[in-house]
Amino acid sequence: MVLTWLVLLPAIGAMVIALIPKSRRELIFPLSLAMTIPPLALALWIAVSFAVGDPFFQFTVDYTFSETLGIGWRLGIDGISLWMVVLTAVLFPLAIAASQSITDQTKQYMVAMLILEAALLGVFVALDMLLFFAFFEIVLVPMYLLIGLWGSENRRYASMKFVLFTAFGSIFLLGGIVVLAVLVGDAIGAATSFDFRLAMETGLSSTTQLWLFAAFGIAFAVKVPIVPLHTWLADAHTEAPTAGSVILAGVLLKMGGYGLLRFNMTLFPEATVDLATGLAVLGTIGIVYGAVVAIVQPDVKRLVAYSSISHMGFVILGLFALTSQGLSGGVFVMLSHGLVTGALFLLVGMLYDRRHTRLIDDYGGIASVMPIYAGFFLYMAFASIGLPGLSGFVGEFLVLVGSYLTVPVLAVIGASGVVLAAIYLLWAYERIFTGPVSNPANQVLADLGLREIAIIVPLIVLVLAIGVYPRPVLDRIQPSVDRILERIEATTSYEVPEYGATPGGGGS
Amino acid sequence: MNNAALLPIAPEVILLAGALVVILLLAIFDRPYREGGIVAFTALFAALIASVFQWMALDDGADSLYFSAQDVSVVRLPMVVMDRYAVFAGFEIFVIAIVGLAVAWRLVQSLGERRAEFLALVLLGVAGLHMMAASANTVMMFIGLETASLSFYVLAGFTRERADADEAAVKYFLLGSLASAIFIYGASLLFAGTASTSFYGAGGIREFLTENVVTEPAILLFGMGLLIVGLSFKVSAAPFHQWAPDVYQGAPAGVVGLLAAGVKIAGFAALGRVLISALPSLIDEWAPLLAIIAGVSMVIGTVMAAVQNDVKRILAYSGIAHAGYIMMAFVAGREGVAAMWFYLVTYALTLLGAFAVASVVSGSRSGRSPLTDWSGLSSRAPGLAWAMLIILLGMGGIPFTKGFVAKIGVFTAASDAGYQWLMFLALFTTVVGLYVYFRVAAVMFMGDAEDDEPLTIPIATAVVIGLVAISTILLGLDPWPLLEIAGEALPL
Repeated sequence: MVLTWLVLLPAIGAMVIALIPKSRRELIFPLSLAMTIPPLALALWIAVSFAVGDPFFQFTVDYTFSETLGIGWRLGIDGISLWMVVLTAVLFPLAIAASQSITDQTKQYMVAMLILEAALLGVFVALDMLLFFAFFEIVLVPMYLLIGLWGSENRRYASMKFVLFTAFGSIFLLGGIVVLAVLVGDAIGAATSFDFRLAMETGLSSTTQLWLFAAFGIAFAVKVPIVPLHTWLADAHTEAPTAGSVILAGVLLKMGGYGLLRFNMTLFPEATVDLATGLAVLGTIGIVYGAVVAIVQPDVKRLVAYSSISHMGFVILGLFALTSQGLSGGVFVMLSHGLVTGALFLLVGMLYDRRHTRLIDDYGGIASVMPIYAGFFLYMAFASIGLPGLSGFVGEFLVLVGSYLTVPVLAVIGASGVVLAAIYLLWAYERIFTGPVSNPANQVLADLGLREIAIIVPLIVLVLAIGVYPRPVLDRIQPSVDRILERIEATTSYEVPEYGATPGGGGS
Repeated sequence: MNNAALLPIAPEVILLAGALVVILLLAIFDRPYREGGIVAFTALFAALIASVFQWMALDDGADSLYFSAQDVSVVRLPMVVMDRYAVFAGFEIFVIAIVGLAVAWRLVQSLGERRAEFLALVLLGVAGLHMMAASANTVMMFIGLETASLSFYVLAGFTRERADADEAAVKYFLLGSLASAIFIYGASLLFAGTASTSFYGAGGIREFLTENVVTEPAILLFGMGLLIVGLSFKVSAAPFHQWAPDVYQGAPAGVVGLLAAGVKIAGFAALGRVLISALPSLIDEWAPLLAIIAGVSMVIGTVMAAVQNDVKRILAYSGIAHAGYIMMAFVAGREGVAAMWFYLVTYALTLLGAFAVASVVSGSRSGRSPLTDWSGLSSRAPGLAWAMLIILLGMGGIPFTKGFVAKIGVFTAASDAGYQWLMFLALFTTVVGLYVYFRVAAVMFMGDAEDDEPLTIPIATAVVIGLVAISTILLGLDPWPLLEIAGEALPL
């Protein structure tokens, strides 16, 4: 039941906000913020009471809508989805708190945000494939509105591009799900069944696996995004309002990585083994490509957007290295990237609120007028680069260790991503923050206020906490990813290479 | 004749009586539109109630087939069929008619002396639509088809002072008559091939085809093909769709929703009756044909919709695409009927809602509804814009709307029947369709309003639009009761 409430609470919140009368519009902002607290509390409660070491789905809800069609309200959470849920629940209150600059159609904005939260939480806990797809696809609508109604100048183009790209991906996903549901239905003697756990027990021929892997994979690859399907990302991130960018980078991209783990690698082990090297190569290309393109961006929001492509490349490399360390690392990078990039977009948004420009050249010497802001930015830049002791290090280190076991060349190339990250982030830092204040308009900038500090500090603490002591996170991730690898070993001739003891225990 | 024998044709009798009363009122009163309206709505509600009685009678095990003669010595041809399929079609048609007439009310008020004729024609047309679904015989089906079509030709051209309305009506009439001619030719060839016009009973088409091996099926197949073409015209499936955009654009916005949605329901019901009831043994022949028509409709409909700059034309072309999606369900034969019904019910309501919004935005008498009229609608009438957004999302098949459930239904039906290529084609056109609907949404929400005058929305229209928007979400969240009823509504 707790997962049902997790999904329903933000949706109920959206309804409550929608019913606020025009005369009481001052209630909209505080109430919306309050509506994101119960899901956060639930998510934290789930994380605490989660049975460590149990690789199977916990807190399951199973209610069948239609016996013959095999559709149901089936929810469950394991070590992989747990952290995606926590990430979502943490980022939404911060994103909404950072939305005070939205003054036009505030009510619709908040309703869209809360529906988006419900849908994203639904994506990560759904165990019915049709339900998963429904949540996965409905995300389009609030995100389209967020970009299209509250975005910057080029919003109309960016919002349409976002819709078409992701919808193009999802058609393959829906097609794959329907075909798979018919196959599962044949196996159990029903018309169709969309139950994920039944699909896991259904044996599929290797050709079927290959086709379905491709169908599911394209949808998730667009979301991750895997190069060359990444072109929507920079436009959408740049044109979206601050909160939209935070959720896009922080949570939406994780739907892709999560989907690849949950569906592709779990359901189609043979195809996974066959295609792993190719996808790991694409991941590595993404690491280098995203980083190189980020270096030359004149727009700081675009820079952070391209850095996301690089970091998500690490996720793909880690997943398709097919080692325990790689998979754990991939999931950890998703969590860490969500926190760090979310924080970076929040910081960029705070600067944009003051100066209404995102061009790096318009700044310079900001550190002398906004010292706290500069400190926060540098901290998050270091976290993004992967400074030991901060969260970025743990995940990327595990990915590189894990991929070195199976694809050593790619691991070496991928490691260059860390160096490139240092270049683009520190160079950008240098141009924005150091030196004298070159532009007179920047002389009068106020440093961060109390509200803005309160938004960033939780992320600073979390980034440090899981960077220094990642064990609680990894302990929950590992049984679930090992279960995926065991399934791959059981159904194919692939053997996961062993590398000493289990990873974890600190990033130092 | 006892009461039980009247029950199967009770809706038609009620509607025809209603039409007569409306015309009589015209002779008695000077301008009897208010009284005529009461009579028209009463007749439509009574027809709906009669359908409920029919459903209950079927629960009690009433006969489904009704014959031309009670005398056993003559060949007994089933004429009317009262199965759950026909009754369910009745539910849909009468609900659509009630809702559609409510939307058309502002148009009716503006018609001056011709109000009563309008109401009488709506009642006659609706009676024809139901007869198409409830016929057990190609001749009866043709009579229903013509009754409905002739009424609707006139309704499409009712605002005579506009040249494009005239053009729309003439075009509708010419191409519609052609379709009727093709249909009746097909029926005659089918008669030549099977020696029967009836679908059911001893000596009926179904029995003939299951008991005999047709060695030279050319005439039979040609007749079947012509029937499919004729009905494809009516439901505006490509490549027989050319009339639809011009007619939808030219006909008065207040009534075009009723015409479009009503004809689609009855046309598909008739198609299902002919193919699934009468010609089930030829499914290997007609299923591929329908798959091709469905595929062509989806592609032409969505691609053309993407380049239109008039919302009514967009709705017309997207309607062609939706006809394709609905037709997808037929390739699964009897298994696809539930999916077909669900799609048809939800789409008909959605279409009506969308045209209702168009009638507010561009005026209920006008034909054109260019996108510039819609620009910045969210600032002129926010509630209307958000309702239209929900309606558009439903058409696009976004999850948690009824359109999603409907699309999943037809996709699984086609996939289960082995038509994976058709499903993937449909998925592609769905994405292009999203572009179509989001484009309208972008104009409404991101365009600048040309005049800031707030729109006045007639109460009845506002209620209809609100109900359609709410039902779009509710049926998306809880489609199961409707799916269950649709699953029972199989043809005999």
